[in-house]
Amino acid sequence: MSTLDSSNRLPWQPTTRHVAIAGIVLGLFAFWLTIPPVSARSPWWPVLVGLCAIAAGIWTVSRGIGRPGWGAIAAGLVGIALGLLATRASLGNLDQVVVWSALLSSTLVWATPLTYAAIGGMFNERSGVVNIGLEGMMLAGAFFGVLGADKLDSWPLGLLCAALAGGGFALIHAVWSIHLRADQIVSGTAINFLALGVTGYFFIQIYGENGTPGDVPRIPDVNVGFLGSVFGHLNLMIWLSFALLIVAHITLFKTPIGLRIRSVGEHPRAADTVGISVYGTRYAAVVVSGILAALGGAYLSIGYLGSFSENMTAGRGFIALAAVIFGNWRPFGAFAAALLFGGSTALSFRLAQPWGNASVLFQALPYVLTLIAVAGVIGRSVPPAAVGRPYVKQ
Amino acid sequence: MSEPQAPLRADPEAYAPTVARRLAFYQRAGGIVTPLMTAVIAFLMGGLVVLSTGHNPLRTYKAIFEGSGLNWLFHLGNYSIGLPFTDTHVWFWWDTSTNDTAAYNLTQTLLTTTPLILTGLAVAFAFRCGLFNIGGQGQYLVGAIVGVYIGSRFTDMAHLPHVLFGITAAALAGALWGAIAGFLKAAVGAHEVITTIMLNWVAYWGGSYLFGRGGPLQNHIDKSIPISDDIVDNAKLPALWGNPHLQALDVGIFIALASLVAFYIILNRTTLGYEVRAVGYNPEAARYGGISVARNFILAMAISGLFAGLAGGLDILGWQFRLGVLDVQVSNIGFIGIAVALLGRNTAVGVGFAALLFGALFTGTSTRSLDPDVFPPQLAGNLALMIQALVLLFVGADLLILYLWNVRRKLRLPGAAQAAKESA
Amino acid sequence: MDEAPVLELRGMTKQFPGVLANDHIDFDLRRGEVHALLGENGAGKSTLMSILYGLYTPDSGEVLLNGKNVEIRSPKDAIEHGIGMVHQHFMLIPVMTVTENIVLAQEPRQAGVLLDYDAASARVREISQRFGLAVDPDAYIEKITVGQQQRVEILKALYRGAEILILDEPTAVLTPQEAKELFEVVDGLKAQGKSIVFISHKLNEVLDVADRISVLRRGKLVETIPREGATEAGLARSMVGREVLLRVEKKEAQPGEPLLRVEDLSVRDDRGLEAVRGVSFDVRAGEIVGIAGVDGNGQTELIDALTGLRHVSGGRISVGDEDLTHASARQALDSGVGHIPQDRQRRGLVLDFNLAENLALHDYGKEPFSHFGWMNPRSWFRWARTLLQEFDVRGGGPTTRGGSLSGGNQQKVVVAREVSRDPSVLIAAQPTRGLDVGAIEFVHRRLVEQRDAGKAVLLVSLELEEVLSLSDRVLVMYEGRIVAEFPPDVSEEEVGIAMLGGGQRDETAA
Repeated sequence: MSTLDSSNRLPWQPTTRHVAIAGIVLGLFAFWLTIPPVSARSPWWPVLVGLCAIAAGIWTVSRGIGRPGWGAIAAGLVGIALGLLATRASLGNLDQVVVWSALLSSTLVWATPLTYAAIGGMFNERSGVVNIGLEGMMLAGAFFGVLGADKLDSWPLGLLCAALAGGGFALIHAVWSIHLRADQIVSGTAINFLALGVTGYFFIQIYGENGTPGDVPRIPDVNVGFLGSVFGHLNLMIWLSFALLIVAHITLFKTPIGLRIRSVGEHPRAADTVGISVYGTRYAAVVVSGILAALGGAYLSIGYLGSFSENMTAGRGFIALAAVIFGNWRPFGAFAAALLFGGSTALSFRLAQPWGNASVLFQALPYVLTLIAVAGVIGRSVPPAAVGRPYVKQ
Repeated sequence: MSEPQAPLRADPEAYAPTVARRLAFYQRAGGIVTPLMTAVIAFLMGGLVVLSTGHNPLRTYKAIFEGSGLNWLFHLGNYSIGLPFTDTHVWFWWDTSTNDTAAYNLTQTLLTTTPLILTGLAVAFAFRCGLFNIGGQGQYLVGAIVGVYIGSRFTDMAHLPHVLFGITAAALAGALWGAIAGFLKAAVGAHEVITTIMLNWVAYWGGSYLFGRGGPLQNHIDKSIPISDDIVDNAKLPALWGNPHLQALDVGIFIALASLVAFYIILNRTTLGYEVRAVGYNPEAARYGGISVARNFILAMAISGLFAGLAGGLDILGWQFRLGVLDVQVSNIGFIGIAVALLGRNTAVGVGFAALLFGALFTGTSTRSLDPDVFPPQLAGNLALMIQALVLLFVGADLLILYLWNVRRKLRLPGAAQAAKESA
Repeated sequence: MDEAPVLELRGMTKQFPGVLANDHIDFDLRRGEVHALLGENGAGKSTLMSILYGLYTPDSGEVLLNGKNVEIRSPKDAIEHGIGMVHQHFMLIPVMTVTENIVLAQEPRQAGVLLDYDAASARVREISQRFGLAVDPDAYIEKITVGQQQRVEILKALYRGAEILILDEPTAVLTPQEAKELFEVVDGLKAQGKSIVFISHKLNEVLDVADRISVLRRGKLVETIPREGATEAGLARSMVGREVLLRVEKKEAQPGEPLLRVEDLSVRDDRGLEAVRGVSFDVRAGEIVGIAGVDGNGQTELIDALTGLRHVSGGRISVGDEDLTHASARQALDSGVGHIPQDRQRRGLVLDFNLAENLALHDYGKEPFSHFGWMNPRSWFRWARTLLQEFDVRGGGPTTRGGSLSGGNQQKVVVAREVSRDPSVLIAAQPTRGLDVGAIEFVHRRLVEQRDAGKAVLLVSLELEEVLSLSDRVLVMYEGRIVAEFPPDVSEEEVGIAMLGGGQRDETAA
């Protein structure tokens, strides 16, 4: 256990908390029972298990531990609802939708760009700068990744180009929000439009109507046969995102750098008076966030799809922003949120077969969940204290 | 605490200007010069991009200008004009026939200006209450969705009631969508930027669901096309200028102009506006003055949403007549409203002119209006986005403006610059 | 004691727009001494120390450390030179631990890149034991008391190897016990050879703790004297440049019926802690009741509750026959409660509004200012012109921005608005903070006028002198309770003891 980790901010009793976590797991289990491979057909199973989850949640809440307790209650309700739905669906449909390996690898695919951008976004928010421009930086990464990989005929150079482009856009945002003390929302919105315009303009100028060529060098998959069908053939960028997650966590909570970043985001004047460069730290954090968001975008274009199309990120930068908030400004939280949101995208695509158009609603799930999170229904998300506030040096 | 003059002793939270305070400062500092300068710089930088990719920026901008139809204003002569809703004709300076390309393009520019005025007001009104309504897009979409629903149902209604019903319902839907964010801010302090962004995307995917294949609001004629039913003729706004089958300018522009006046009157002549401005400048003082800050947050967001929802309703009932998944997904009228409001300095007159500027820019660069021999319209659309982004960037850089302002003051009266810096 | 000064400031001068904050000040500090810097608010104490700590650049003057000329351009330079400062507003991060706050920017490392938290924590514990500053290294800042937070600030400076410690008004936020503990800490530090600059405007504590005392007045050094031979009266005279007894001319009070009644009132602060605990008192028509007390003993929460700006957790408030316990700010205003707030810039005025708009801040929604929601600007301007003239507001007319007036004139606008509403109860919170003598007299005269017009006036001030000179009855607030009631001719000492928690709770106060 580390006292550095601010999750220990509140004196939670581990035992009670574990009950809540067990409740959440039970809630998910209620749903899991009804889908392949178990495929329980009686509606009683999910209801019974779900009620246990809710009971665990209520017990936890009554002990004054709100957030995980409400989470268990919610998980129980969701588990029952989805479970009942599943028991009423035909087995054929279920088998078609719930192909675990496909669903899991698809989840990882859609979660990865979010993970990069969300971890990036977490860094700039932790340093006290709001970055609405993640979307634009991702888009820039997607386009310049393709452009670099194509023109320089190498995917590592493509990634480098993406990083430079993302870092460049982030630098504009940094200058505006740190030195010029511009409104960070305005500046971020401007970055989004600028990236949309610039990538669209050069995409058409360079590639015209035909789009990017089919033989763009792609980021390779890593074949590790013994890991099975899901983890055996993951893209390199997915593996790197796991590494990034761990590095980000250690950096933020176990190193002096992380302590300084957090201090700048919480109380810049205090950081300044002990000799930390507030501006320098914020510049670094914002540029890093741009680079990471761009890598996420590059994964979409040269990692997964192998091509670029105008506005191809289609709001993923905003989902990443949501993941930062939903994940409570912590790397593993953001990653979990990215997995959840990526999963909802994956599910939306898989459900298109049996459900038709209604599956589109799963795409809205990340936004609805984030709304609920910021509304404080399941405990409040608390952002860094100085986020969004320009700092004035003497 | 000593030295009240010294900025240092204040706690770190002291420099946390609300958007409204910032804009009040802009107004004192820059007047009309800085917005004009901002726009000029943005267009110059856009020109550089055009130049660097091997096109002629002067010819390009001229073509965009002509594509916007604003050149029509310079074609003077002896013509006559039919007064709307009557058979009388009177003498007029300009040829109003939309067979002329310039006149037609101008109607299209004004068609775009209409919703931009309203989404601009949607952003501006919230700003005046100290809130950043980045959710104009969602409120616009919700208004459009409700507009198309009302317009394509209730087929038995008479013309005027149907139109009024459609417009009112669209506006109220937008108001409701905006009020959600206002309520969350007032009740639990959820930041309106986050909530309105999320609500935008909920509206986006909601719209995609409703009009998509098999969606509840998809048309009844061809189930392969993800688009709504057409609205009935009785729900359409009267055309004002041009051929109604070729996207004529409708009376919506007057509603938008009236909204500008309403915006001004509400803010400056009513106690509601007084409360909103007080909350925007200093919520703590407003509370002390007996004003309910929470109530004003909700009201201001609702009124903002009302403007944006109205924009959506007018677009549907005025010239779009239907709404498809594609329309929902490519529209960014609500986002452009942010640039409109900021360039217009949150004033009624400013928003009017800024909306016209962006309306002209986006129409002039559209595939339909721009001469493809001069500049490829696909590029031009992106150029317009870039210019808009640059406008936003430079509008946002208040220190840059402050610096320029100080230089000017220094040149004029030495010594005053220091004072200006202090008051900032 | 080593007589060579560790620190010497020569001819320090700092000009702010419109104010000469420091005017050729010479100051020196010897090893192992406590040198107090005494002066009124705005005398230039904090500016001088901010220059020393690298927060301001002086216009002229030099800094000598151990006889050597040094240049201090940033706090970082100051820290490297062994100077530490404990700011009046703590520079601590609430969501981090004591240890994290202390080692920030000079963290012990492990394997070159990782933060060695255990080593850091051990080091903090070691320093805190050496200097007798008891504090739990692993506690979160937001969970510890203000007094402990101050110790963390001192530890922060010591951890950085500070030989010179600047304490900026350290007792302003402390309870008397905490202040006493602080003085013990200061003695301990002195014994270990640290040199301390102690900034204050309180005479008694300076005499308690300092070895030498320098008095600043309006940016100039008046004198530097050893504690021996210094007297309160003498110091006070040099501090303000005149006899301090500022008595307000007033007639005998003729109290009538109680107008404001407070019974067993409890109020929580922003953190949810009980800040006002069962307070009962009343204010009668035609009298001024003053509440004295050290800052942070529940006065702010009490005023907020009385004016409808804060929820009441228990008890009762009534004005006349009306129950205002759970009234909103609007209801309180409409029931005749006037309120001169303690911060005119943050609360009393909307600085971006013009004076006409500011003068109508409470009554914008009433006739003749508006009619069914429509504003009637002409009546606003007429009203504003009348008030500005009557209250002698200078520097602008009805269309002038509030923010462009001087502090004194801003306060006149606030007073004009509150008094002109003809409230039956007038609550004045620190009504003269930061004002010059002329404006202070103006405000005091108006308050007495209100009293003589049969209003109930409640004065809450941190300036004991102001309370004593204006009030007809003096209540003392301590830790959320009214602990004593005195007649106006009570001695400062007696009230002072009660303010420090020494008095008995006087049940007859209600």
